[in-house]
Amino acid sequence: MTNILIIDTTSNPLHKIEFVNPIRDIVGKCKVAHYTKVTLKKLHEATHIIISGSALGETDYNLERFNWLKNTNRKVLGICSGIQIISLINQNKLKKFSSIGMTKIKTKKKNPLFEGNFEAYSLHNYGIDLPKNFEAIAKSSKEIQAIKHKTKPIYGVLFHPEVRNKKIIKNFISI
Amino acid sequence: MKLGVLLSGGKDSLYAAYLARESGFELTCLITLVSKNPNSFMFHTPAIEKTIKQSEALNLPLILQKTPGKKEKELKDLEIAIKKAIKDYGIEGVVTGAIESVYQSSRIQKICKKLRIKCFNPLWQKDQKEYLKELVRNRFNVIITAVGAYPLDDSWLGKKIDKNFIKQISFLSEKYKIHVAGEGGEFETFVLHCPLFSHALKIKDTQKFGEKNSWRMEVEVE
Repeated sequence: MTNILIIDTTSNPLHKIEFVNPIRDIVGKCKVAHYTKVTLKKLHEATHIIISGSALGETDYNLERFNWLKNTNRKVLGICSGIQIISLINQNKLKKFSSIGMTKIKTKKKNPLFEGNFEAYSLHNYGIDLPKNFEAIAKSSKEIQAIKHKTKPIYGVLFHPEVRNKKIIKNFISI
Repeated sequence: MKLGVLLSGGKDSLYAAYLARESGFELTCLITLVSKNPNSFMFHTPAIEKTIKQSEALNLPLILQKTPGKKEKELKDLEIAIKKAIKDYGIEGVVTGAIESVYQSSRIQKICKKLRIKCFNPLWQKDQKEYLKELVRNRFNVIITAVGAYPLDDSWLGKKIDKNFIKQISFLSEKYKIHVAGEGGEFETFVLHCPLFSHALKIKDTQKFGEKNSWRMEVEVE
């Protein structure tokens, strides 16, 4: 049975409507919790965990709240802020790279989320370097766009699949 | 946080403003771009100067910025208007009614980033049919002021968005693939009353212009 938990990384209720509700509308039945209120119980109950994106300029996360990512065996998809958090929790630094609008993306490794070349909506001020134990599964001309942990079902995408690539989120919850 | 509302006079900008207020934000001014180009890439054009009457009903100051409405020049004019709102009213962010348009949304995001203010799009990716139902539930009195897609014609001008409208437009959406909320320019709207207004606007006079499936209705309100 699939139990989906969406972790809200936004800093106010208006941005929650903008960045979390569209994901909720795609996945259907799920639980939503702000990252500061995620409990071990909620993490244990979930089979699939989606870490939402947030507004531009909101990168001041309390990373201690994401320590669970180091040992989880759950399926995880980090979107935008979510991939940044996955990267930071794996001792990686973010790099200043702003992108707003549609971006051309190429799949670099076969994976269950997407394939081929496609365009996706970007809204970020920071990109990532490849964290240790992860592989890049998609790139644009200038950035790593998606990563996967080498041995665990942990994925991250820098773009926002809830905008033009809803299928990616549907594929994730079907893993 | 003080927000400026990017106001077109239509349902999207005012419903977004309503959601912002309901979320505890302070609405401090309105910003309206008056485009001379009826086919503006960025800005809703029918009935736009009637936002003056809406600003009175909202009890909020209005920045009315004229623009020739040429593709990228209108973005410069929007930036000028937002800068004025920052200077005169101390806004720390803007709220927009963007639903699906990446073109519109990403350009406003870029201006906000440049001016170091927040950008809020509370209708972003919202299910359009559900959105229309919410408008009705929240007592928004919205009329159609322009149509621009087959099979919509002048008989739709002045129609109110209500349960019957949602039923009709949903039927046409399935048959002709038009957006239920008019996001693709299929129709434009004007808000006569909503919970943000101190009083309802009344229609004094209307004039219709157009042909076939491209019509607009000029509305005089009081």
